[in-house]
Amino acid sequence: MTAGDGLSYLVGEERSLRELLLDSEVLPLLKGVVAAGAGSARLVSEEGEVLWIAGGPAGGASLLAELPILLEGERLARLLISGEEARLKEIAPCAELLRVALNAVLRNNLKRMLTTEIHTTVVNSSHQELVEMNRELSMSEARYRELAGNLELRVKERGAELRRAHAHILQQEKMAAIGQLAAGVAHEINNPLGFITSNLHTMQKYVSRFCVMLQFYRNLNPGLPAEARAEGDRKWQELKLPQVMADVGDLMSESLSGAERVSRIVADLKGFSHLDDAGEMPVDLNEELERTLTVLSHALSGRVKIVRELQELPSITCQPQLPGQIFLNLIQNALTHAGVTPTITLGSMFDGKRIRISIADNGPGVPQALRGQIFEPFFTTLPVGSGTGMGLAVVYEAVLKLGGALAVADAPAGGADFIITIPTGKDQPDVQVLGTF
Amino acid sequence: MIEYDEKERRLVLKLVYYGPALSGKTTNLLQLHEQLTRQGRGELMVLDTSGDRTIYFDLLPFFLTAPSGLRIKVKAYTVPGQVCHDATRKAVLQRADGVAFIADSHPGEAESNFASFDNLEQNLSLVGLDIDAVPLVVQFNKRDLPEAIAEQEIRNSWGPTGIPVTMASALNGPGVIETFSTLAGLVYDRIDARLRLEATHGLSRGEFVGQLSCLRDDGSEGEP
Repeated sequence: MTAGDGLSYLVGEERSLRELLLDSEVLPLLKGVVAAGAGSARLVSEEGEVLWIAGGPAGGASLLAELPILLEGERLARLLISGEEARLKEIAPCAELLRVALNAVLRNNLKRMLTTEIHTTVVNSSHQELVEMNRELSMSEARYRELAGNLELRVKERGAELRRAHAHILQQEKMAAIGQLAAGVAHEINNPLGFITSNLHTMQKYVSRFCVMLQFYRNLNPGLPAEARAEGDRKWQELKLPQVMADVGDLMSESLSGAERVSRIVADLKGFSHLDDAGEMPVDLNEELERTLTVLSHALSGRVKIVRELQELPSITCQPQLPGQIFLNLIQNALTHAGVTPTITLGSMFDGKRIRISIADNGPGVPQALRGQIFEPFFTTLPVGSGTGMGLAVVYEAVLKLGGALAVADAPAGGADFIITIPTGKDQPDVQVLGTF
Repeated sequence: MIEYDEKERRLVLKLVYYGPALSGKTTNLLQLHEQLTRQGRGELMVLDTSGDRTIYFDLLPFFLTAPSGLRIKVKAYTVPGQVCHDATRKAVLQRADGVAFIADSHPGEAESNFASFDNLEQNLSLVGLDIDAVPLVVQFNKRDLPEAIAEQEIRNSWGPTGIPVTMASALNGPGVIETFSTLAGLVYDRIDARLRLEATHGLSRGEFVGQLSCLRDDGSEGEP
């Protein structure tokens, strides 16, 4: 079988004589016999094809020898030697010699070819294995590189997460500390304030009695001797008692109302911090708004115009410090960004399902491009050091805890309008809809 | 697998002697060459060796003609047993039509036998052959060793596999022909099913095996 049949071994493929023997190997041998006296020497395949020939055509002369050429036990060709019959005796041994020589060459060539084949095959497959190994190593390297790259990203993500959580905790702790301080101060002020108020009340009573008595003596004045009367008048004027008498009542009542205001502020401070309350309780959001305004009164008074557009609201059940956190941060935010003559508009309404609270300022408003970011922790438009960037993030978290939604819009008169929508417990499905904000 | 060319009326079969290093694969072929008749058998071709160890392979070809004129060449190869020549083993194992696994009867070689058989299974599957489908004979060689594992023990462990097991002493001759003819028979069964050797080509199992394993008449023929 010749090569190219499509059926072939990788090693030990069947070979034809033409593939195994070279002209330069066969022809000198054949020519040798001819030189020794034969007419012609031919190597003819089993199919009758003349493969190699030396000497003249065989015509006329008789066939002196016909010997088989074997390859792997199979007869592949015949060695034909023709010449004059008289020379048979000399030619026959030459022919046998030629056969042995050809078979030896054939075997050696086959052996060399097989060795080359197997060697090439082994080298090739080793090469392929190395290439494959290289490919797998490259892939594995790429995989590890990718893992390493991802790892860096994951570390960054985790780092950011940690920073956010840390800032959040800081903010909450800050709120808690403020609350605690407020509650502590409130408690300490309450005691002295108690007896101040009580004493003021008593003193008001006593002073009015003094005044009644003074007036009584004054009324006796016309009945006195002229000298004494003049002395009395002079003293009365010298001590400016007419003004004192007119003023003292107001002084007392003003002091009392001042003390009452202090006591109200203290109560609001305590209420705002809600330190005494645990768990959830019904909360009126309007009340919480007012309370927050009281807490912030130092920053608001005189300077800021507060517009209230409040409607009556049903109470919601929640952790009582949450609304305070929301309103404090939003109003502070409004104060920071409000215009030259600051105006803050507080609105609340209830549509039967949801409570809607809006806190609007008359500042520049929030640019459309920033609206996605402002609720992210650390986002701030203030100069470094002025804002933590946590205020609105805390608001966002707190609103989520209430099951509500927070959005920012443009106020009707310009400025930012933060709108909080909180479902009341009565209509649960809306909670879910809003929760997807 | 079977290399068959209907147009050329030729069939080439490949038998591979596999097994651990120094188990006697080449000795098997030498013994076959020694014992079988020269008629229809080619010369044993021993490719380059290194210190008498096979590094490529040995090849003993056989040639026979079926009554139909189909020319059949059977080539028996050995593989190098040493672990380092795995690529050569794989190359020789390609398209094998039958495998004789030559195991070493020395008790100390049990592990090498096992490793080599494992390697055979793995390499067969790498060249796309299924060890359950390839005709396979296991020969336990070196039965002449005094410490050789007991035959009963071997039969007990190999019996359940259904693989034919032969006992041999390749150095002295016994068992070598038996192994070869058993494998030849199995290969015949396999190709007869596909090529209908008996029905189409008039070649019976007995004739096929007989011609391949025909013993030399003592002294009747010498080497050329």
